[in-house]
Amino acid sequence: MHIPDSFLPIGQALAYWAVALVFIALSLRWARDEMHEEKIPLVAVLAAGIFALQSFNLPVGMGTTGHLAGGALAAIVLGSPFAAVFILTLVLIVQGVLFGDGGITTMGVNILNMGVIGGFVGFYGFRGLMAATRNLEVSAFAAAWLACLVPALAGAVELSFAGTFPLRAGLVAMGLYHAIIGIVEGFVTVVAIRLIMTARPDILQLGAAPDQQVVT
Amino acid sequence: MSGHRRFLIAGIAIALLIGVAAVFLASPDPDGLESTALVVQGEKTLTGDTPGDARIDEDHLAGDFSYSSPMPDYSLGGTLGPWGGILAIIGGTLLAFLAVIGVLRAMKAVSRRKEEQVEQ
Repeated sequence: MHIPDSFLPIGQALAYWAVALVFIALSLRWARDEMHEEKIPLVAVLAAGIFALQSFNLPVGMGTTGHLAGGALAAIVLGSPFAAVFILTLVLIVQGVLFGDGGITTMGVNILNMGVIGGFVGFYGFRGLMAATRNLEVSAFAAAWLACLVPALAGAVELSFAGTFPLRAGLVAMGLYHAIIGIVEGFVTVVAIRLIMTARPDILQLGAAPDQQVVT
Repeated sequence: MSGHRRFLIAGIAIALLIGVAAVFLASPDPDGLESTALVVQGEKTLTGDTPGDARIDEDHLAGDFSYSSPMPDYSLGGTLGPWGGILAIIGGTLLAFLAVIGVLRAMKAVSRRKEEQVEQ
């Protein structure tokens, strides 16, 4: 889902950067206000894990591969969509600058899609689903699936504005591929949450409201 | 060993294992975005396999900025074989980890200094 430099005209890329910067500033404020000393290792380990998982392209059929985006995982585990923006921004900077995975001018739109849209869809999707189902696995899986699909559809719309994809063909192909990639996203997100719950339940701040009982 | 440190070491070890496994096991096929580009450019059908010679035609795309990263495609070039990929992934994973620690520590230091100034 990493949009390279060649896919967007520079004017549009800068406009997305401007929007992304607003959310990056808000994510820094979240980090300043919410980040207690004991949570720093969890945030750093999540960033390392999301970086590694993003390099792992799994075949999903139809000659296509997919990997975890990680927005839902970060937002659910740390209890804020801005956690996803914060982590994905740093991961995308490392990927774009050192490894050419995602562009430089398009880093803003990638932060917007995977960090902001992925984080918000993942976080509020999880909260809503938890309220409805009270089941952690079902809620996290579905929220992560949506947090993979919705940013991909947003990417299709952005790339149609750029003239890179026709809108309908872009939505169909991006939607189809990421609906399947989202299953990987959902599965990995649930496994990672369970692992962290087992290792450090004390620092986990699941995105559900405090009065909601987690049924596992 | 404190719980914090054990969690940190285990977390980093898992991340590095995933990254190293990716060097050997990750599929070279295009990702969803690249596949979509190949579909709209007529290089691939929507549900069919990706032909080995399918390439995205960059000349007809809207972006005109280009940047050459030092380690494209998570490798250090062909001469090191899989070691290039392993080193690149390990370096990137540790850098992502250190970037988060660095930014958070710097922010803590700045807000602490501001609080001290207010107290004075």
